[in-house]
Amino acid sequence: MKEFRFRIFVILGAIALCLYLLYPTYADYQNNKKIETEIETIKQTTLSNNPDMSDADIESFLEFKRDSIFNSDLSYRDTREKRVKLGLDLQGGMYIVMEVNTAKLLEKLSKEPNDATFIEILTEAENEIKVTGENLVSTLANKFQERNIRLSRYFGSIREDDADIISRLEEQEEDAVTRAIEIIRNRVDQYGVSEPSIQKQGSRRIIVELPGIAKEEEAKRLLQGSALLEFKLVRDADFTFPIMTSINSTLAKSLNVDTADSAEVVDSNEVLDPDSEEFAKQNPFFSIAQLLDNQGRTADAVVKDSDRQRLMNYLSRQEIQNIIPNDVEFIFGAKPFATQDQEDYYLLYLVNKNSELTGGVIVDAQANIDPQTTEPIVNMQMNSEGAREWARITGSNVGKRCAIILDGFVYSAPVINEKIPSGSSRISGSEDLNEAKLLEIVLKAGALPAPVDVIEERTVGPSLGQDSINQGFNSTMIGFLLVAIFMIIYYKKSGTIADLALFFTIIFIMGILAAFKATLTLPGIAGIILTIGMAVDANVLIYERIREELSTGKTARAAIDSGYANSYSAIFDSNITTFFTGIILYQFGSGPIQGFALTLMIGILSSLFSALVITRLVFDIMAAKGAKVKVG
Amino acid sequence: MRFVDNLNIDFLSKRKKAYVISAVILVLGIISLLIRGVELGIDFKGGTQIALQFENPVEISDIRENLDNIGLGNIEVKTFGGETGILVRTELQEIPADIFPKVISAIERSIEKNFPNTQTTIVDSTLNSVTIRFATPEVAKDINTKLFEEGFQTSLATRATENLDVVFRVSIADWIEETLREKLPDNRFDVLKEEIVGPKIGGELKQDAIIAIVLALIVILIYLGFRFKFAFAIGAVAALFHDVMITLGVFSLLYGVIPGLNLEISVSVVAAFLTLVGYSINDTVVVFDRVRENVKIHKTAPLEDNINTAINKTMRRTIVTSATTLFVVTVLLFAGGEVLRGFAFTLFLGILVGTYSSIFVASSFVLEYAKSRKMKIEF
Repeated sequence: MKEFRFRIFVILGAIALCLYLLYPTYADYQNNKKIETEIETIKQTTLSNNPDMSDADIESFLEFKRDSIFNSDLSYRDTREKRVKLGLDLQGGMYIVMEVNTAKLLEKLSKEPNDATFIEILTEAENEIKVTGENLVSTLANKFQERNIRLSRYFGSIREDDADIISRLEEQEEDAVTRAIEIIRNRVDQYGVSEPSIQKQGSRRIIVELPGIAKEEEAKRLLQGSALLEFKLVRDADFTFPIMTSINSTLAKSLNVDTADSAEVVDSNEVLDPDSEEFAKQNPFFSIAQLLDNQGRTADAVVKDSDRQRLMNYLSRQEIQNIIPNDVEFIFGAKPFATQDQEDYYLLYLVNKNSELTGGVIVDAQANIDPQTTEPIVNMQMNSEGAREWARITGSNVGKRCAIILDGFVYSAPVINEKIPSGSSRISGSEDLNEAKLLEIVLKAGALPAPVDVIEERTVGPSLGQDSINQGFNSTMIGFLLVAIFMIIYYKKSGTIADLALFFTIIFIMGILAAFKATLTLPGIAGIILTIGMAVDANVLIYERIREELSTGKTARAAIDSGYANSYSAIFDSNITTFFTGIILYQFGSGPIQGFALTLMIGILSSLFSALVITRLVFDIMAAKGAKVKVG
Repeated sequence: MRFVDNLNIDFLSKRKKAYVISAVILVLGIISLLIRGVELGIDFKGGTQIALQFENPVEISDIRENLDNIGLGNIEVKTFGGETGILVRTELQEIPADIFPKVISAIERSIEKNFPNTQTTIVDSTLNSVTIRFATPEVAKDINTKLFEEGFQTSLATRATENLDVVFRVSIADWIEETLREKLPDNRFDVLKEEIVGPKIGGELKQDAIIAIVLALIVILIYLGFRFKFAFAIGAVAALFHDVMITLGVFSLLYGVIPGLNLEISVSVVAAFLTLVGYSINDTVVVFDRVRENVKIHKTAPLEDNINTAINKTMRRTIVTSATTLFVVTVLLFAGGEVLRGFAFTLFLGILVGTYSSIFVASSFVLEYAKSRKMKIEF
């Protein structure tokens, strides 16, 4: 047995690894079942208590509950992240292909966008790229050159030559697409879709996948609408802190009345452990929104990601709305301020409701490294109208903070150091260059650089997805049984060994899919089913060869050896050509089809391992033990 | 169990008959392709397609009648899945201008039905949406939720608390769904899927699909030329081309012939074509591998004999593998659901044709090639 030890070790290792990779998928499935039963009981009790609640209200309430149960256990999220993901065609959701309208961008960049020749050439170039798929700038440049028109007539300054202008325009074209993607990604993140996917395709296309989304119009507006960039003054601690304290005590009173608890609101000066339950009861606001500085010198507070919804619910209560002055509002930071115990913490700001300026005034923004301090900075330019306003705002608010807000979330809140007369400002304080780059994108995002057009839109309802899952699962089972039974009837004991190999092949495919963090789609399941049928091929080739070798009168051992040896070239050549078509298919397709190509390729590799290593080992052990080797 | 043991059939002598059979099917297929063409799915043609699942069984003719005069021109209606599912398709992507007001009045009727005497003002409309303003933010909010439940695609214009505007999607899908809701009030339905594909994507996809298949053939040609001999590579690729063309031809011949089988070229059918290329080449290579081996051993034997023995020796494997693959494809065809049916059907045909072609086309081609050039094949 010693000679087999290494191979046994490798096989067991591979199986164990795949099972380990698949465990989160199983655990997530169990967790979901658990959460859903919990939700069902909550639904029943809520319905019996409030019989006239509308369906939509119940749904949104349950959705909120579901989230909070999900967030209550960190292991839930952990397994969710590591499971084999299901494609949109299986779990339902929305698939949108958008295209950045670069023609509009060039129109905007042009010095003479209304010139007839310009419009004519631009339209021509636009029609041409629909067929060729080239980028717009180079096609346009070719058209200009064909007509002997210098680009500088429409772009840049007179003295620039064509090459410079082309490279700059190309840069801007690319930049516009990158920015659009970044903006869309931010919006989708803020919208709260779980596991969205945003990919760039080709030079100017963006594919967005939103699992579980049924509100198509809402999602589309979110993706296409122009972002709102605002500058709002952050209120200082002297103003904010009393409001927070007042919210805290009012909330403590009304919540404790709500829960019919007679606990007195104790003097807030008494020092309590901020983590204790008692503290939470007495300070419902401060236990969620934890002050960074307990002395109240700044009123910056951080809120756990999982508490955000609860805080918003508190703040929307009527008695709290009465406390908060009409001209201010609480808003969150866009990016986590800190992360502790795998929980993200977000800053909470109190800002003026009216914005001082909107993003339309920003002409340019550039992230850079300050050569003197080597600190990342962002330089921002405003147009003349904006600069005038900006001078007034900065002049009268030196020392205060001005929040840069995109679509309702704060990206940065720099302190105004001095009056800025020229509109050219320098924002420092970014953690690293990446953060500065993000701020640059945010500042430029006020208006999308070019409109994005939806060119393809597909929605799969959850019921069709569930049907597909069931049908896929059943087909896999039936297919496996049919093939397995056939193999046993035809090859008897050896057939059983091949079936075992087939079973492990499926485990390997799933395990590798999990390792790749690949998405399982309906065509992907079809790929697995097809693999079940084709994967036995390697074993069949070998078995038939062993039969032939046995019929020439060889011993079992020799027949196995030459059976395997003589089949290698056929197995190798035939699988490699099939693998090639898999690669090409992967290149050709998008989404679901790539899933199919991937399972097909993984299936080929796994079935080869199963046939050449696992069944070989079983045969070798049998031969070593002197068992009679019979193939059929 | 054993069958076809010690097979010794002179396959190659029957190759002329095979040529005739292949030629007849090919010609029939090509004629059908020229006259009838193939039905392209929405992936390639563009347009709008929706699948609905009703609570009770519906008659296709009934649905067709109801959708005939709603101003969308030629509408296709088919069954989807069982007798409660339908698939509606049109080549249009946007609501025609003359229908637009009708869709809006349908929206207004629905608002009136659910919220009588609501004051509405249309503040904006685009090619595929209309924005309606209401008196108070609360009304806007209620209408947004209620009409979404009713089946409209709605959205609040902004997330601000003082928002008064609700955006309603105005699309082909909405118009069809609204019409069916009004005309069949007792048979409610769920939307299974909605697809709106622009014409641009379809054109590109067609090009990509052809490139992918041609590229696959070229890669195989190069690889086999390298591993075997040029004659073999050409034979294999000819067989593949034969498989693709025959399957495509049969696809065209059978379109609309078998009820319940929706034969149209979609992206997944193209994937099936590439898979059949992969499957068929697999089969061919196994035979070629044996020919190569035989030629090495029996250097003096005529090529014809070597090929015949190779086919006979690999016949059992060919049958077993084709059988297991056909098993799973048949399962997919019947139990895999509507979405995969075209895919499964293509593979079913492809496996039959592919198995046949690796015996009668690929090997015969090698023989004919070698004969016509009077060359001796050696490895």
